[in-house]
Amino acid sequence: MKRRPLSTVVSTLAATAAALALLTACGGGSSDSQAAGGKTTVKLALWNYATTPEFKALIDGFEKANPDIHVEPVDILSDDYNEKLTTMLAGGDSTDILTMKNVIGYAQYANRGQLLPLTDEASKLDPAKQSGLDAYKIEDKYFALPYRQDFWVLYYNKTLLKQAGVPESKLENLTWSDYAALAKSLTKGDGGSKVYGAYQHTWRSVVQATAAAQSGGDLLGGDYGFFKDQYQMTLDLQKAGALLPWATASTQKVTYNSMFSTGKAALMPMGTWYAATLLADTKSGKTKVDWGVAPLPQRQADGKVTTFGSPTAFAVNKNSKHADAAKKFVAWAASEEGATTIAKAGVTPSLQSQTILDTYFALPGVPQDAVAKKAFKPDQVVLEMPVTDKTADVDTILTEEHELIMTGEKSLDAGLAEMSKRVKNEVG
Amino acid sequence: MTSTTVAPAQAPSQPPSKAGPKAPSPARRRWRSIRLGWSFILPNFLGFATLTLIPVLASLALSFLDWDSYSTPKWVGLANVDRMIHNETFWTALRNTAYYALGHVPLTLCAALGFAVLLNQKLRGVSFFRTALFFPYITSLVAVAVVWNMLLSPDVGPVNQLLRAIGIDHPPGWTTSTTWAMPAVILASVWRDLGYYMILYLAGLQTIPGELYEAAQVDGASAWQRFWSITVPSLRPTTFFVLIMLTISSFKVFDLIQVMTEGGPGRSTLVLSQVIFREGITQGRFGYSSAVSMVLFVIVLTITLVQFRLQRRSER
Amino acid sequence: MNVRRGVAYGLLVVLSIAVLVPFAWMVSSSLKLDNEVFSVPVRWIPAEFHWDNFTKIWARIPLLTYLRNSVFLSLSITALQVLTGSFAAYGFAKVRFPGRDALFLAYIATIAVPWQAYMVPQYIIMQKAGLVNTHLSLILLQAFSAFGVFLMRQYYLTIPDELSEAARLDGLSEYGIWARIILPLSKPALASLALLTFVNTWNDYMGPFIYLTDNKLWTIQLGLRSFVGLYDAEFAMIMTGSVLSVLPILVIFLLGQKYFVRGIATSGLK
Repeated sequence: MKRRPLSTVVSTLAATAAALALLTACGGGSSDSQAAGGKTTVKLALWNYATTPEFKALIDGFEKANPDIHVEPVDILSDDYNEKLTTMLAGGDSTDILTMKNVIGYAQYANRGQLLPLTDEASKLDPAKQSGLDAYKIEDKYFALPYRQDFWVLYYNKTLLKQAGVPESKLENLTWSDYAALAKSLTKGDGGSKVYGAYQHTWRSVVQATAAAQSGGDLLGGDYGFFKDQYQMTLDLQKAGALLPWATASTQKVTYNSMFSTGKAALMPMGTWYAATLLADTKSGKTKVDWGVAPLPQRQADGKVTTFGSPTAFAVNKNSKHADAAKKFVAWAASEEGATTIAKAGVTPSLQSQTILDTYFALPGVPQDAVAKKAFKPDQVVLEMPVTDKTADVDTILTEEHELIMTGEKSLDAGLAEMSKRVKNEVG
Repeated sequence: MTSTTVAPAQAPSQPPSKAGPKAPSPARRRWRSIRLGWSFILPNFLGFATLTLIPVLASLALSFLDWDSYSTPKWVGLANVDRMIHNETFWTALRNTAYYALGHVPLTLCAALGFAVLLNQKLRGVSFFRTALFFPYITSLVAVAVVWNMLLSPDVGPVNQLLRAIGIDHPPGWTTSTTWAMPAVILASVWRDLGYYMILYLAGLQTIPGELYEAAQVDGASAWQRFWSITVPSLRPTTFFVLIMLTISSFKVFDLIQVMTEGGPGRSTLVLSQVIFREGITQGRFGYSSAVSMVLFVIVLTITLVQFRLQRRSER
Repeated sequence: MNVRRGVAYGLLVVLSIAVLVPFAWMVSSSLKLDNEVFSVPVRWIPAEFHWDNFTKIWARIPLLTYLRNSVFLSLSITALQVLTGSFAAYGFAKVRFPGRDALFLAYIATIAVPWQAYMVPQYIIMQKAGLVNTHLSLILLQAFSAFGVFLMRQYYLTIPDELSEAARLDGLSEYGIWARIILPLSKPALASLALLTFVNTWNDYMGPFIYLTDNKLWTIQLGLRSFVGLYDAEFAMIMTGSVLSVLPILVIFLLGQKYFVRGIATSGLK
């Protein structure tokens, strides 16, 4: 219809179309979930498959026990795992098993009806032994089963303690005021070679979840007076120079691993997951630190250990086309067999028993002393943050106010009052 | 939004005047111009409409719904807007975003223009300088955040040491202070973006005919006069583009703040797109998050329209 | 004159070096151990140089595959964006037709909506089209952005109409004018559009993260993030990878920027 140089247009369009066709041809890559040979293939959404050894251990162990099921990992980056999972599920994705990275995410998927109920499977577990199971109960139903439970302990640098002449047995029954005194006495040097008595990471949990677990305070309650002692101690240590200032740690993105494993901090409250890092780094020679594990310090020295923790669980996607096989996997991971497999990978399983603890302590490199044994057998593990539909909002407010208190932009009392006020007004 | 635009000139337009023997009727000419215009736009428009325009419209519609990304959406009318208006965090974020834009837009514009003019000359090593200035844009954000935070560290940072040396006893606490965190973020973002916009200006500068400068030089105009009377007016279309893109990107700023301060301390650097991200994808309140993005959309659209009008006026 | 030039020159040198400081930090960190990267105070010269980081990273992740995917995506997106963007821009800048300005405004307006807000609806469309987990999904998503159309339109506005008028009298069609007159004149704009599009797709993380699940399809940015764990990260590896991933951009930049000296010989401040 038009004149000569229409050819230009035509060739342009043709080139575009050809390029697109070419791309489609080599773009595809989704694999079919029906495998050959009568085997059922279930897909498992997880994070960082290459660097998280327990996933491979679990898959291998399960496939050995169930030769007719093949588990295929769907590798998602840990960093924004929940964002991707939310988007995938919104699009109707049918990945069979979903790892629940944290309980807040779990509550969202469960409340939206994206997960299959696992109440029957849950009723076969012993709630006294299955640590963290409670966290997954929503109106008497369970939509996920925990396989892993991390809780907080106190890591210490044996060399620094020895230099200061502090016996390790002293750490078995530490109160927070003992901890503060010890941290001050262990601080030495300055400038680039300064060694801090303790390092507390920038997370609000270090102060707030500890206080809540050990004083019985309610993190969602809207009244935060029970934070006061713990904050007071932390601010005091920071002022005395026994802690790396929060502002520095936060703006310089200091990692707790670099503080502890290079010997720049003697004591460090942190989760049990860190033991796996230390074991691996010691083995590969990345760190030379001589480390030990003690129970988290307490409010009173009555010999009982209360700490806080966060479980990790598996759930089954409602859109799964192989729900039975998927449920089998979830139940297996929570069972004794699954727990043993995880313990062997250096991770603390949700199921707790002496046999499993022994398996863990049999790993090469795990501290064997009485202090460590007590640390890994706390009397009570409180959930880091109770889960309701308000959790995420309260979490945001508490984090923001935590920053203001720790940077000194707000006084402790003003900060606590503001937390209470905002939680009541904005979430209430 | 259609109603607000300037009605396109209809009759005596220049284009498809195929120098034919008989002039076609106005209706036919109109139809032909539409066909011609669309034939250029269509290849891009097809992709743009299905994959950007439709999702954007869908997201705007979500503002009136309650949706968790999975269940059937519920019509809630203006409930999301109502919640927004009574939400303190929203207003804080809106204020912070405006503050950021007011600082970031003019500073980046001036810096980018200045360096583009400077680096458009025959200068030894000019390609090194251009590359160096573009580097901040491609340097990893984590590196940017760490180094800037170190430079601005309240106690030991070189910036504050310098300030103390020149007699300021209480230099700002920068990213650890609720008052100074935003200026610190603006500073870092200008530094990061200036190379990006410099590239756009460099392209624009190539269109100015050299004869203009030669003529001005003959007339005895100083370098400064030449800059204002030739460079600035000739760059108007580029400036229009840079201004709108800068405004939009300032109102949408996310990455740098997320890495540098995460909106803190407290809420002192919290911006709207962080609220949108938090409320939407992390908390699953997609209706509310869409309502907030609608606000962003309206603000940016208004600013763009004003700039559009201003540009039109100056073209006439 | 010469003194002023000298001062300006010295200032530029100082500034360029200052601007490169964070990059220096990246390079220095890429030669450290993970636990030495974030130290207080900052240590600029590593205690021990771990050059082996640059060999180790190839074994740790399939870097070659990731690089190939990144190159493929960036090049095809850039090519399509430049092609369709500059074509559509001609319609917006040089053809007058009813509804043109409203349409153009719709283009710009969509840029104003943050991606976070429409990411889920977009994903659902892609999922329905069966394109999730393919490179094609990302290409379609990013190749037709309003950015390119806008940039090229603004540039075309600076090209005097007399040029196309003359060509029209010579019997060239509008498409011919675009291809033979306008395109060759807009090399600087095409170069900057190509450069900026390439850099943006190369560094994009969220798009590939949401749309690509299969490890074989991952891009370099996803590969780098895979060093971030649940509780900890391998920062030395991340920095090593970041340094490596800047190199291709550098090449593109050096290639592209030679188009910024065409046109006029000297200008401005003398």
